Amino acid sequence: MTLHFVDYVILALYFAFVLGIGWFLKKRVSTSEDFLTSKHSMPLWITSLAFLAANMGALEMIGMAGSGAKYGMMTSHFYWIGAIPAMIFVGVFMMPFYYGSRARSVPEYLKLRFDEKTRGFNAITFAVMTIFTSGISMYALGILFQALFGWSFEASVLTSAAIVLAYTYLGGLASAIYNEVLQFFLIVIGFAPLAILAVSKADGWSGMRERLDPVFTEAWRHMGSASANPMGVEVFGLVMGLAFVLSFGYWCTNYLVVQRAMAARTMTDARNTPLVGAFPKMLIPFIVIVPGIAALALMKMGSGYQIPPKGGSYDYDMVLITLMQQFYPSGMLGVGITALMASFMSGMAGNVTAFNTVWTYDIYQSYIRKDAPDSHYLWMGRMATIFGTALSIGAAYLARSFNNMMDFLQLIFGFVNAPLFATFLLGMFWKRTTANGAFVGLLSGTFAAAVTHGVTVAEGKGGWLSPMHQFPSGMAQNFWVAIWAWTACFVVTILVSLTGKPRPAEELRGLVYGLTALPADEHEPWYRRPSQLAILVGIGAVILNILFW
Amino acid sequence: MFDLRVPSGLFFLLLGLVLVAFGAVAGDAHAPLSTVNVNLYTGAFMILFGVTLLWLSKRKPS
Repeated sequence: MTLHFVDYVILALYFAFVLGIGWFLKKRVSTSEDFLTSKHSMPLWITSLAFLAANMGALEMIGMAGSGAKYGMMTSHFYWIGAIPAMIFVGVFMMPFYYGSRARSVPEYLKLRFDEKTRGFNAITFAVMTIFTSGISMYALGILFQALFGWSFEASVLTSAAIVLAYTYLGGLASAIYNEVLQFFLIVIGFAPLAILAVSKADGWSGMRERLDPVFTEAWRHMGSASANPMGVEVFGLVMGLAFVLSFGYWCTNYLVVQRAMAARTMTDARNTPLVGAFPKMLIPFIVIVPGIAALALMKMGSGYQIPPKGGSYDYDMVLITLMQQFYPSGMLGVGITALMASFMSGMAGNVTAFNTVWTYDIYQSYIRKDAPDSHYLWMGRMATIFGTALSIGAAYLARSFNNMMDFLQLIFGFVNAPLFATFLLGMFWKRTTANGAFVGLLSGTFAAAVTHGVTVAEGKGGWLSPMHQFPSGMAQNFWVAIWAWTACFVVTILVSLTGKPRPAEELRGLVYGLTALPADEHEPWYRRPSQLAILVGIGAVILNILFW
Repeated sequence: MFDLRVPSGLFFLLLGLVLVAFGAVAGDAHAPLSTVNVNLYTGAFMILFGVTLLWLSKRKPS
């Protein structure tokens, strides 16, 4: 696969614009909050698209197209029930506590609501996780471009990291957010024509339905038992594990996405951010999952398209890129590759800007140097941007040398993250929850996750304690680990809280439901009211699920 | 005040012009599995999108 002059022109044009935006925003930064949280300055359409784009990293895009070919339309569960309900919940019910409290970050909310130890635990694990997440995607991008175009691993890793560093260093969070919106447009315009070309080549959706086993074009009909579908997941595990525990844990507590909403100008805009973002989010499956399903149909019909083989199966991670190769001529190929680069950068910038805020406010200012002038924290925020990027590059090299270590780290992060939503749910909606209850609950949840993984086996993974149960797929194991972690955290937090003394209601004002005046939005027109938007989004998601039942 | 619609409008306008020009001169340069001149069509769409963003930025504040 070769790129031509015009493709490089397109890539260069993109680099020039992202750097230009960073350069232009440089003069807007004068305090640490300008740099790290952009101080409630962003319009709604910007925050809602950035909210989406920060989650649309290159690995997600490549993975979703691959899952489309591997699991079919069931992959849409990651969007229509695995994201939309949680986005509604965070906008309608949780944002008043994030935006309304004095917290500048999600870990800081934990500090205000509970105490220092829960914040410390969350801040440190989150900071380490962002570094490794961006390192792993940098590594994946490096080897992909090396395999495709013969670009050296060093060159693509260092160039892409340097560009993200440059624009986040210059303009801080505002620059990352503005660029995420540009990247979002580019991702959609770069991938959508591919979906149209691939699907029409496969004779449209009806042609694909004729050629493929129904299990690949129907999202719900085959979820009755785990053995009836290629995901190996049954409906309870899917709904509780993915749609509830994992999805709510991600969209409602991950500072990476919540940070975008907290940058909005007003409380109403902050609440509307995930709700407005949910509309385009519902349509993303059509540009990433559906082309993957089309790839499978194209292979069945002998069109000449072939997913590259790997082992006894297929290399599903190559689906997106080989489709581009087969359907895009020079020119659009450049746009497609640039879109992939853009999705990588939006994911990485999301991690870097979340890292530098959590590092500066929740780790450095809390434990290392408490009472410095603000200019010092601005300086530290910029430094954190540099060493955060440097550490990500280090993590990318680590991933190249010790691939198993990365799998191990991701597993550990999974254990830590799984119970988090129980802590937030109880913290925000039950005023009796105590600091010790939250902390012990969180540790118990993490422990329960590790134990569940230790006593179950799936696809040769897990069972390191004593294998007692076999799951039909790694995904099922993943969902059930989350379910047990969440349940353990929920129950233990309640039990420990009941033995302790609750904090006086005075101290919890603005942090807990029932003790906080909920924002009034009656004066807003209907299309700016979170409750009305939530209903519309909900109806949209239900319709899509029924259409592809 | 920074208005993102201006730089992103310009970006898609320029990108669209490059694609349309390339699609017009190299109309026969197509991909292995497709004969559609996708450069021309996507380029035209990008120009439209870019101009719309620029027009919106003139019309009302964000």
